[in-house]
Parts: sequence; C-alpha cells; structure tokens
Amino acid sequence: MDDFEGKKILVIQTHGVETPTRTYSPLFYAMAAAAMEMDVMVWFTMNGTNQLKKGEAEKIKLDPTSDVTLKTMLEQAIDSGVKLRVCQQSLALWNMTQDDLIDGVEILGATSIINLALESDHVMYF
Amino acid sequence: MADTQEIRGCVIRTDLYYSVDDHTWVQLNDDGTVNIGMTDIAQNMAGPLLHAKTKAVGTSRKKGRPVATVESAKWVGPVKSPISGEIIAVNEEIEKDATIINRSPYRKGWIVKMQPTNLDEELKALVTGDAAVEAYKKKIEADDIKGCEHVEGFEA
Repeated sequence: MDDFEGKKILVIQTHGVETPTRTYSPLFYAMAAAAMEMDVMVWFTMNGTNQLKKGEAEKIKLDPTSDVTLKTMLEQAIDSGVKLRVCQQSLALWNMTQDDLIDGVEILGATSIINLALESDHVMYF
Repeated sequence: MADTQEIRGCVIRTDLYYSVDDHTWVQLNDDGTVNIGMTDIAQNMAGPLLHAKTKAVGTSRKKGRPVATVESAKWVGPVKSPISGEIIAVNEEIEKDATIINRSPYRKGWIVKMQPTNLDEELKALVTGDAAVEAYKKKIEADDIKGCEHVEGFEA
C-alpha cells in the first residue's frame, strides 16, 4: 500500500441533524485518515453547523442498540487528532454564537476555507 | 501455554508487555525481535473487524506511531506501536481476514514483527505479569469497560 502519511485532507460537511444518516460517514472517513497519520480537518458549514450546537449531537443515534451517538463520533474525531472548524457566517443561520458550540471546535471565516482548500492535498465534500 | 487472567471476561496474558492506554501488547522473541498486537479489550471495544492494514515491511516507527489501522463497522483507528523499531514482517493473514484479531488477539492475530531499536529503555514504560493485571483492573474500572465477549473458537 502506498504511504500517505502527512497528506492534508479537508472534509467539508454541509449536512446536519435533520439528516442523521448523512452525519456519521464524513467523521468516520476523517478518523480513518487521521489513523493513517494524515492531517485532517472537518469544515462544518451550511446545515452541517447545527450538529455542533451543545446538546444537539447527543440526540442523533443511527443504531438504537448502540451507545454511540453523533456526539460520540465528534469526540472520537477530536481525540483522533481531527481538527473541527466551523464557518463563522453559518453560525448566524442557526442563531448560534461561539458560546453555543461544543468544546474543541474553532471558528474560521470564508477566506480561511479557501486557503485551506488550496493548501489541501484532497478535499472531500459532503 | 502462557498464563492468563481474566478481568470482567477480558483476557490478559501475563507473559506479554502492555501499553495499557493504547491497548497494545509486545511479545519478546528469542531472536531479539518483538511481535506487536491488539489486546482482547481492544478487539472487544472495536467489535468485529472489517479491515486491517499494516504499514509496509521496512518502515521505521517511533514509539506511539501507528503500525497499522484497523476498522470495524463502528470504529476506525490506529494501532500505535508501543516501542520504536523497524517493521520486519507483517501478518498478511489479518489483511485477508481481520476477524482473526477478534478470534485470536494474542496469537494468530499478531499485527507486525519489529526489530526494536530502544527496547530496554522502552520496556520500562510497559507493564507485564501481575503489574499488567493490576493496571488493567484500574483501566477497566476507570473507563467503565463493561467486559469482553468472545466469538466461538476464541483462543487466548
């Protein structure tokens, strides 16, 4: 297998809590890339932003027999070294401020995401 | 057979050295090499494994860097090397059928063989024997690990 350690992956997540089945996979891929020692960032924008509001991700559970919620996935991603960033402009869509965000998420503006996309080796868009 | 102990059904082999936080083990071989793998607790937490991908033979690893990535339906993560060295062999069987790790985490499910470069020093950070059992008792309690279940044909 080729070795991709150190490559930069940017994952853009535009889906939120209203579509639970679209929330887990981007985080799972991000964790896989982090496990392979890539530099991974997930960028939440549009509807993707609402899963980062305190108290929301705990409500999303794809497998009712499992203890794993979307909040678990977000925490595991952070623990794996995945950087979570949210679009500043999209916070207003959901009447959110920095105080509403779960721990471990940083806010970036639109120009930053353009820079990050250009600097990344690959962008995955969901 | 190596001595084993069970904590909440999770098997610990007392002849191995463990990195408890990373749930990995090291087996010292007579020729100075070491085998590395995942613990029974690790395979239980991950669930039935779908894929295991090892780093290539010849890869040098510092302690803490991954020697493989493993994934189940609910988890994906690295297997972090408990010691520094060069990978001199990989278990090709687990790449064909990762559930070997679930069935035999300490034997047929070994992940890589390494030629260590700083073994004496790095072994000091690992635990073995009764100390390993005690360390795992604390870990299982602290992390509230419910216990281990084993598939048919499991071997310690």
